Amino acid sequence: MSTSRRVSIIRDLVLYVLTCIGLVWLVLRGAEQLGYQWHWRQVAHHLIVMGDGSLTAGPLIRGLLVTMEITLVSLVLAGGIGLTVALLRLSSSRLGRCAARVYLESIRNTPLLVQIFFFYFVVAPLFDIGRTTTAILALSLFEGAYVSEIIRAGIISIGRGQWEACYSLGLSRTQSYRAVILPQALRRILPPLTSQAVSLIKDSALVSTIAVYDVTMAGRTIVADTFLVFEVWFVVAALYLTLTLSLSALASRLERRFPRVA
Amino acid sequence: MQTILDATSADQVVIVADHLRKNFPGPVVALDDCSLQVRRGEVMVVIGPSGSGKSTLLRCLNGLETVDSGRIVIDTVPLDDQETHRLAIRRRVGMVFQSFNLFPHLTVEGNINLAQRLVRGRSRTAALATTVSLLDKVGLADALHRYPDELSGGQQQRVAIARALAMHPKVMLFDEATSALDPEMIGEVLDVMRTLAAEGMTMVVVTHEMGFAREVGDRVVFMEQGRIVEQAATDDFFQRPAKERTRAFLGLVV
Ligand SMILES: Nc1ncnc2c1ncn2[C@@H]1O[C@H](COP(=O)(O)OP(=O)(O)OP(=O)(O)O)[C@@H](O)[C@H]1O
Ligand SMILES: [Mg+2]
Repeated sequence: MSTSRRVSIIRDLVLYVLTCIGLVWLVLRGAEQLGYQWHWRQVAHHLIVMGDGSLTAGPLIRGLLVTMEITLVSLVLAGGIGLTVALLRLSSSRLGRCAARVYLESIRNTPLLVQIFFFYFVVAPLFDIGRTTTAILALSLFEGAYVSEIIRAGIISIGRGQWEACYSLGLSRTQSYRAVILPQALRRILPPLTSQAVSLIKDSALVSTIAVYDVTMAGRTIVADTFLVFEVWFVVAALYLTLTLSLSALASRLERRFPRVA
Repeated sequence: MQTILDATSADQVVIVADHLRKNFPGPVVALDDCSLQVRRGEVMVVIGPSGSGKSTLLRCLNGLETVDSGRIVIDTVPLDDQETHRLAIRRRVGMVFQSFNLFPHLTVEGNINLAQRLVRGRSRTAALATTVSLLDKVGLADALHRYPDELSGGQQQRVAIARALAMHPKVMLFDEATSALDPEMIGEVLDVMRTLAAEGMTMVVVTHEMGFAREVGDRVVFMEQGRIVEQAATDDFFQRPAKERTRAFLGLVV
């Protein structure tokens, strides 16, 4: 690493730390002016419950697990939906292209909150599905629309020459997609796909509106009971940050493992 | 139909192209009533100015482009709407592109094994054996585990040739296989093509390399504005060109 780069990294770090200190100071001053009393110790009980000499997960951690479950399942489903819709839009079937387009536009042009309510109040009673499933369904369909556009962009970014090579070697369309086009496209779209996954984690907070006991819901409940407004929301934010940062770290490791982009 | 099939088997004609026409929106007349035949083991060289329809002609022969009218028969299989026919022709015809079109995410081994395994259904060991012997043939025995971006242009094009040969094609199409290469690498690719021709591969070669055309070509086709202006045996073509346009073009190029 060159000296100039090292200097600029140190400068950035210093700036970052200063900004953080500034923000914390602002919050502390605000709290002070409100006459806010800090009770960090009490928050710990909501994270981990100590009883009978054994440790069990408190409501915040249980909420976090629910958030992780919902986002993980939705992530997989959104990926599947996204791929299917992208392939439909690029297919030669008029009906397929049309259906994909209708799905995409109706999802993209209405708020997620409204969609969640729609599924909870309209769809769920009709088919008798539970809250968590409803939440997963709404989230996957919502994120799937965005994922499909990312995947489609990735696919059409692969040059015509790759298709022609596949064609002249006798590969079928499916084989070409699987072995040649998608591996290259996925590598290219890993960064936007990661942002979308991060969005999914954050968007999942909205499922607390249909009383799914995720980490946001846990936070709301605790705040209502204890009035530990600042502490609890700080902790909840930190928990989300942990999730999203781990995901980003995972993605950049993946990117380094597959370095070949055409 | 029957007459064409009889003719192909009788005369050992591998490629029949009859009155091909192809327009692109614009409108551009890319092929205007082109007819030609290529016999087994013959090397046919296609030359002509830029935009004369050489690539289009080649791409129609393996179905990469569809003709507006006319008939194509490859190794007794007619190139028509039937998917089985089209697939049979894609398997019989290998193509080498100006821009190589190797798969950048796969090693050389992966590039050459892929279609052998997916299309021919060969086992990994069988595919690998073919791959290794073909790499040896194109002089790249040590490149098995390299990625395309670690190879020079000439090396990449030789891998692309090996990849096409791995499918045991009856016909090889070369579309300006050396045009994207630095001068010092052209020779190594032409050498591989020369060897192939000597082994009796049926080839259609679009090229600007007149020396190669004279030396390796059995017949030459000269195209201009989508039309075949002249086609003749190589010696006749270069020594006694019949058409004024051909003489002008050769005077320009040679
Ligand atoms: N996909 C396409 N869409 C529209 N026009 C095309 C397309 N492909 C080729 N053409 C046009 O058809 C004509 C013949 O093109 P072609 O590529 O066959 O020429 P060529 O002889 O191979 O030229 P070059 O020596 O430059 O490669 C040209 O006018 C070209 O612009
Ligand atoms: Mg061309």
